[in-house]
Amino acid sequence: MNSREKYVKWVLMAPALLILISTTLYPFLYSFATSFRFWKLTRSPHPRGFVGLDNYIRAFGDAGFWNSVWVTIFFTITSVVLSMLIGLAIALILEKATKLNTFMKSLLIFPFAMAPALKGFSWRFMLNPDYGVLDAMIDAVFPFWSDVVWLGEPYWAVFWLAMTEIWGWAPYIALVFIGALGSLPKETQNAAKVDGASTFQVFWYITLPQLMPIVIMVGLLKTIFSVKMFDQVVTLTGGGPGRATETLNYYVYNQGFKFYDMGYASALAYILVTTMFIFAFVYVRFLMKGEQN
Amino acid sequence: MAMMTRDEKFWAGARWLGFGATFMFMVFPIFWMVLTSFKVARDAYSTKIFFTPTLNNFISIFQAPYNFGPLLLNSLIVSFCTVTIAIPAATCAAYAFSRYQFRAKNALMVAVLSSQFVPPVVVVLPFFILFKNLHLLDTRLALVILNLSFVLPFAVWMVKGFIDALPADIEAAAVVDGCNRFQVLRHITLPLIMPGVVTSAVFGFIQSWNEFLFALILTNQKAVTLTVGLMGLHTDKGILWEHMAAASMLIMVPIFVISLTIREYFIEGLTMGAVK
Repeated sequence: MNSREKYVKWVLMAPALLILISTTLYPFLYSFATSFRFWKLTRSPHPRGFVGLDNYIRAFGDAGFWNSVWVTIFFTITSVVLSMLIGLAIALILEKATKLNTFMKSLLIFPFAMAPALKGFSWRFMLNPDYGVLDAMIDAVFPFWSDVVWLGEPYWAVFWLAMTEIWGWAPYIALVFIGALGSLPKETQNAAKVDGASTFQVFWYITLPQLMPIVIMVGLLKTIFSVKMFDQVVTLTGGGPGRATETLNYYVYNQGFKFYDMGYASALAYILVTTMFIFAFVYVRFLMKGEQN
Repeated sequence: MAMMTRDEKFWAGARWLGFGATFMFMVFPIFWMVLTSFKVARDAYSTKIFFTPTLNNFISIFQAPYNFGPLLLNSLIVSFCTVTIAIPAATCAAYAFSRYQFRAKNALMVAVLSSQFVPPVVVVLPFFILFKNLHLLDTRLALVILNLSFVLPFAVWMVKGFIDALPADIEAAAVVDGCNRFQVLRHITLPLIMPGVVTSAVFGFIQSWNEFLFALILTNQKAVTLTVGLMGLHTDKGILWEHMAAASMLIMVPIFVISLTIREYFIEGLTMGAVK
């Protein structure tokens, strides 16, 4: 490699790295600095004095913060578990490459490609107690639920918030799993069938363990994106009823852009970032391992 | 064909049932929006399937007071500019990551990947203040800058996947023939990975088109995009669902059309970045 060649890679990477440094690294560091200061945008356009860890300490005594943590955990678990299960089920249904299944796979792109903000509005419309079509269907099948105002009950509201997320992500997860299922060796499965294993046994003892690395990857990725979810909170529930669907993201948004408390919002944002990076770290480790093989 | 055992029969039946359920689950929410967009207000607030269709909703969202025309233009310009900047930059970086070995490579790749995991709300806080000081709030430029923060890293990884799949030997021959790296990239590699580049461009376009949080915070009048424009249909009298549905069509249909045209690559590219 001659000396000119040595610089070529840096020239190639320069634009992308410059953009990333200014759009991600800069705000990342700026928020970190802001999180140690007192700064209400309503009082001054510039940050006031250093307050040390006060903003972080404040979070631990803030009931609204803890509420948002629990909402985020509840939402994340529900949406990750259900979107993985439904995604896997869809993958098993569409596994064989028939014409009908190929058609269905194209349809799977639609919910995934739909704007998250729209997902929220569309489900909100369907769940309306007076004219919502989904509400009417549920009432017809389960009459004992006919009095439930879906987005008016705290736990149901989080569930439906998760449902909008599942609706978009289950098809994506299904597509990933279909790809993975296709690349699994068929010999073991066939051998087990010849030995008289039932369809379920083949799946449970052979296919699922082979699929496990990808299940873990997708699970981690989905967890990261569930914690990041924001748009549907605004368009489906607006954080309500009460504070029942105020996720951590939404809480940071409120502190920053409703109360203009930049210092506190930055501190909360950093708590969020730290949590996310634990998941991201594990995910990246897994992915880079695959990269080297 | 051999007789199906009871076990096989059961699962074949379950598969058909599951197929039907999946179809309903995936399609119904979209179908309902489409149906509602052709309803007059009175029908929209009901669960009717049969009604006299109207195109009025599509006309009135472009008129005062909703004026979706400029919003459509904003969404188009912002998404187009984001992609135009992000994809060439991402392709060059992806090529370097794929074809060169160097010490900082892994660290840089992880940094690019991790930047996708930074919650948007963290990015937007400092930029809100910066743009406020620079008088860039409520401009398309502000949105393009922030959209780059998530379109670019995704595109780098996606294009890299396509370049990785291309044997390096093809390029080696060209290098022997005296081409420099830029010529190789432009005349040999780029044409071969074009499907991948187009796929990431489409994907980046969709991501910017659907973006909501940045536009919600940074715009309020001039640079409002379609997704945020929906909030304007949430009035004192409640949500105007028939208009909401028509506006949704305006957002959904272009995305559906472009994702179908590159359907095969779309699925490949989408599932490639996430898991290897």
